[in-house]
Amino acid sequence: MTDAQWLLIGTLAFGAYSIRFLGLVSGQLISEHKYLSKFLADLPGCLIVALIASSLAGENTITWIAAAITLAIALMTNHVVMTMAFGFITIFTLNHYFV
Amino acid sequence: MKQGFISILPLAAGAAAYGFVFGVIAAQLDFPWWGIALMSASVHAGSSQIVAVEQFASEGFVIGAVLAGLALNMRYLGIIASLNSVLKEVPLLQRLFAIHITSDENWALTFAKKAKDPSIGAPFLIGSGLTMFVTWIVSTTGGALLGQSIPNLIEYGLGFAFTAAFIAMARAMWRNKQDTLPWIITFIVTVVLIHLSLGSAFAIIAGSIAGVITTGLTQQIMKKVAA
Repeated sequence: MTDAQWLLIGTLAFGAYSIRFLGLVSGQLISEHKYLSKFLADLPGCLIVALIASSLAGENTITWIAAAITLAIALMTNHVVMTMAFGFITIFTLNHYFV
Repeated sequence: MKQGFISILPLAAGAAAYGFVFGVIAAQLDFPWWGIALMSASVHAGSSQIVAVEQFASEGFVIGAVLAGLALNMRYLGIIASLNSVLKEVPLLQRLFAIHITSDENWALTFAKKAKDPSIGAPFLIGSGLTMFVTWIVSTTGGALLGQSIPNLIEYGLGFAFTAAFIAMARAMWRNKQDTLPWIITFIVTVVLIHLSLGSAFAIIAGSIAGVITTGLTQQIMKKVAA
């Protein structure tokens, strides 16, 4: 490997772990404050919705339709693997017939 | 821990496809297979690795590539902070290891399972994290070694399987009607900010904070109405 590649991996590893460590410390600090600790209880749900939104932003109509169908499946089944499987089948089928 | 190992397997299969593709790309950009394995083990951040390696190959500057990669990883500030309730009883060394092996998928699955079964905690997080961690290292190294001899499953829509899984996990995390408005706000703010060309990592953080603030405001308003 070149020196630049070593430097890239080293700095990226240090930076990535620093972000995680900062998250750990801030989580502990926030939990010590009664009002702010509620923030941590509400954060996971909002974060996962934001992850879904970011994966759909800029996608085509078919992906949005597939997401709506997947949401309906999730509401009915409340099962991760089943929803994942049906979601994959849905997008594959829609892409196959409409793209 | 065993439950975590097994429960995450369908998601690990999806991550393996991404890892394989990353390995192929990185090998084409002159990274040796063992360098890719080292990067996957030490960095352990899929999207950040992909962006950093691509930036490094196109621009040739280490600092720019690292900053681009780390910007994508900023969401882990919130993800790891939210793990406080899961990790607070765990010894420090284990905690430091757990935050390194945590990925989007096993973090979300842990909270989704915890919503149904409050006994789910650190062992599940660490078990599922280990599965994802090993899968990522093996699949990226495999991609580098085997090259393009395996079809790109992401082209067949596998990427959407992650979105579908996250939708299912959000469903499991949904507590009651009070979550509806904050989640809608989170969704809208994130999409709008991405459309306004704010990086997706920052949009995710801003959208989540908007949702949490909405929760606080909604509860205060409801308290005043009740009083």
